[in-house]
Amino acid sequence: MLLLGESSMNEPAHLVTMRNAFEDLQRRTLSQIPCDFARLVYLASMREYNSATYHHEGLAARYGQEQARDALEACHREIFCSLVSLPLEGLVTELETYIRASHEAPSGFIHAWKELEPYRVAVPMEADSTMVQLFLSNIRLALEVLRFRLEQSQAYQPASSPPPLPDR
Amino acid sequence: MMPGLAFVAAAAFLVFLLSLSARDDNGEDLPAASMRNQNRLGVTDALRPAELVLRIFSPKDREFIRLTRSPRLQRLYREERRRVALHWVRLMSREMSTIMRRHRLNSRHSQNVNVAAEAKLFGQYMELRFLCAGLVFLIQLFGPHALVDLASYAGELRGRLGKSMLDATASNHVAASGDVVAR
Repeated sequence: MLLLGESSMNEPAHLVTMRNAFEDLQRRTLSQIPCDFARLVYLASMREYNSATYHHEGLAARYGQEQARDALEACHREIFCSLVSLPLEGLVTELETYIRASHEAPSGFIHAWKELEPYRVAVPMEADSTMVQLFLSNIRLALEVLRFRLEQSQAYQPASSPPPLPDR
Repeated sequence: MMPGLAFVAAAAFLVFLLSLSARDDNGEDLPAASMRNQNRLGVTDALRPAELVLRIFSPKDREFIRLTRSPRLQRLYREERRRVALHWVRLMSREMSTIMRRHRLNSRHSQNVNVAAEAKLFGQYMELRFLCAGLVFLIQLFGPHALVDLASYAGELRGRLGKSMLDATASNHVAASGDVVAR
């Protein structure tokens, strides 16, 4: 296992190692996660609440603490950007996939997310403030669309069957 | 008379905005755009300003919500988009004011100020401030899709005007030929 010295590393070498860590993270970890929204939540969970620094044991052991941190941050920013650039319909699909993967009851999930707004924590540090506003606004809208679909599907179902997450 | 004047003013303002947005399309007025959207790894981590604007005012999103036929969703969509659009305009205006303030402070210490360049800069700054104020006004009054709505209204009105003109010409012809017959 190669652990690279951080302070002695010059900028191009740092970038090469960071690039390797970035690709490793995408290949081994993020590709196993079902959707971009889940990837965003996963990457945000790699960030410490108090210091906002990213940490991943395996990646740090392979590429060094600093390179792993920068790679995680770059991945987090990239996925956030791709989610902001999605049309609203695409974001609804992402959120729907995420709810399915969470195995939570859709109605409970939507209620909790509307009340607590935990998605705010998924935003990367120092992201463009308009991008952040658009992302938060789109999540609120996507949750309302899902709630609307859920209500619609419940209205057409017999009372005995459990409410599934409606297909689009 | 007043609605007619208001429409002419709105149409003139629309043309003004469109001419400015066309300049943006050429990329000449977006020097920071290509610098801002990629990080050290060459990974896209921020939208270019023009892309962000397209996302905020996306007709595709509007159509998606419209197809739900839910008044509650449509109202929420308008409120949410209005909020984001106003945030974007005010932020842009604030950023430009900060940059201009810094520039003014730097210019005070400069030995040889280029008056023509400064005047041009001030003109462009005022143009942007006016544009931002206009956008805030339009978004607050007509909603986030004000420009598209105004443009489609102008198109509709043009169609109606064309039809009225044809009708008027036809009736004039009929009246004129009636006069000839009577004579």
